[in-house]
Amino acid sequence: MADAAIEQFLYREARLMDEGKYREWLSLWTDDAIYWVPCSDDDTDPRRDVSLIYDNRERLVQRVDRLLSGTVLALDPRPLMRRVVSNIEIEADAGSDVTVASNFILAHARWDTQQIWAGRSLHKLRRDGATFKIVFKKVMLVNAEQEIPLLQFIV
Amino acid sequence: MLAKSEQEVGKFDALINGARIHGSLYRDPAIFQRELELIWYKVWVYLGHETEVPNAGDYVRRQIGLQPVVMLRGDDGEVRVFFNRCRHRGNLLCHRDRANVAKIVCPYHGWTYSRSGGLLEPTFEEGYDDNLSRDDFGLTPVPRVDSYRGLIFASVSAEGISLDEHLGGMKEYIDLFVDLSPAGEIEIRKGVQKLRYRGNWKFHPENSMEGDYHGPFIHRIAFELHSRATGLDMSSLHANEIPDVIRSLPGGHMVEDYRGATMAPPNRPPSPARLAYLEMMEARYGKEKTRQLTTTIPPLFYVFPNLIHIMTHVRRIQPVSVNETYIYYHPVFLKGVPDELNERRLRDHEFGFGPAGFIAPDDIEIMERNQIGVRSEGDDWQFIGRGMHRDKVLPNGASTGYTMDENHLRAFWQHYCKLMNGNGEA
Repeated sequence: MADAAIEQFLYREARLMDEGKYREWLSLWTDDAIYWVPCSDDDTDPRRDVSLIYDNRERLVQRVDRLLSGTVLALDPRPLMRRVVSNIEIEADAGSDVTVASNFILAHARWDTQQIWAGRSLHKLRRDGATFKIVFKKVMLVNAEQEIPLLQFIV
Repeated sequence: MLAKSEQEVGKFDALINGARIHGSLYRDPAIFQRELELIWYKVWVYLGHETEVPNAGDYVRRQIGLQPVVMLRGDDGEVRVFFNRCRHRGNLLCHRDRANVAKIVCPYHGWTYSRSGGLLEPTFEEGYDDNLSRDDFGLTPVPRVDSYRGLIFASVSAEGISLDEHLGGMKEYIDLFVDLSPAGEIEIRKGVQKLRYRGNWKFHPENSMEGDYHGPFIHRIAFELHSRATGLDMSSLHANEIPDVIRSLPGGHMVEDYRGATMAPPNRPPSPARLAYLEMMEARYGKEKTRQLTTTIPPLFYVFPNLIHIMTHVRRIQPVSVNETYIYYHPVFLKGVPDELNERRLRDHEFGFGPAGFIAPDDIEIMERNQIGVRSEGDDWQFIGRGMHRDKVLPNGASTGYTMDENHLRAFWQHYCKLMNGNGEA
């Protein structure tokens, strides 16, 4: 069933992000990728107002290169992460592209602290044979408007 | 271990001694408290830019030290700063980060103020003596408010040097980045990146004006990525120290100025938008000044105690406690330029800054580690002596040093010491 395939895709994406397998995660994206994490709750125009993350493909590659460089101080010691993806809802299905919303809650452990991050993701997925590629991903963090600690991992 | 008498708060010369800085300055809550009394509640503190409250009734919530204040545009167009506290029973009045209001209404008992802060009505007036004057119960203005190029500063102390005197030579540096606009005006919009770190506020200014000292160590990958994308080789700045880059100005301010460094030309021809921009700049400033403004990085600067400007943004430093600080990154847009160029600035900003950026987070992580390091009291002194043998102090009290010298830190701490001893700038 289509829904099961979408779910499995989201779970796999979550596992790759949790385990820092960023090169493999990058291979899930199309070339016209947009990865967007706003820092406001209301409807921001990312072309006019700042976001935490607003990556096209080029920026996404830089992000992954940096996270995998081994020189990022915030990743040494390495954070340990595990997230739950749930509340999956298919919002639109246009044949080649499907839009799916989901919630996540993520535990991030580093130094002497465990942080909880949570939010709602909006994925636009493009069918790619039996699987999908990510065209667009918007992550609306619950704490988007708060003073937040470093976000040196992928949500 | 200092003798007990030398540890008394107030004798800061014992803690700040030329190139030696004592660790307690970063970890002692009593010192943090004294900083509130003798720095944050005395000097000019940067609050925001007037473009953050463009319309009548617009307000933004800010803080001076730990005191909530509100910056509010009145119907007369004036921007005022009030203590954000109801005159009735002290409740928080303007509770949103930013909003537009027709009137300010206290949610507790309905006391209502105008956009210029006057009390319009206490509720249930019949319960008050007829002699009660509404004029006595308007919003309390923060005693001193002033601005430069739209940057608004305020002080909760009624007395002190003027903003003009406080800024001194920093005005010239502020001009250098505001003048990047062919209209001579910058704009700060509603978007802001907010960050918290587990560290003392002073680690932040100390870190901010030394991109080429710590840069090759903690920002290595960011410099590499930038270099790959633009063809600019940042490592040459580190390999060859040049003089007259790191400066302090009287008042605790600091500058990092690379205008003397040769920059490789960009590896792309200018876009039509960029050409249009240069044409507008030449129309306003003439060819020579335009060349100067647009072919170098405008100097990075720090205005004591809480304002930083670095390339794409201005930054506010907000102390929370001795070991916690908030940082607000406000991207700066240029009025009068094609949208495409402001969008480019925004994308460049997101490359470097905010909690998910490729540059700032390495600084933040290093500050958190620094906070842990200074808990260790074995030899409780930092050493900021680089370049001391070649210290150059100019007639106006400014100091100037080489790319990796620490003359600016020595001057920052001297200014801090003066204020904390109570011999401040009054």
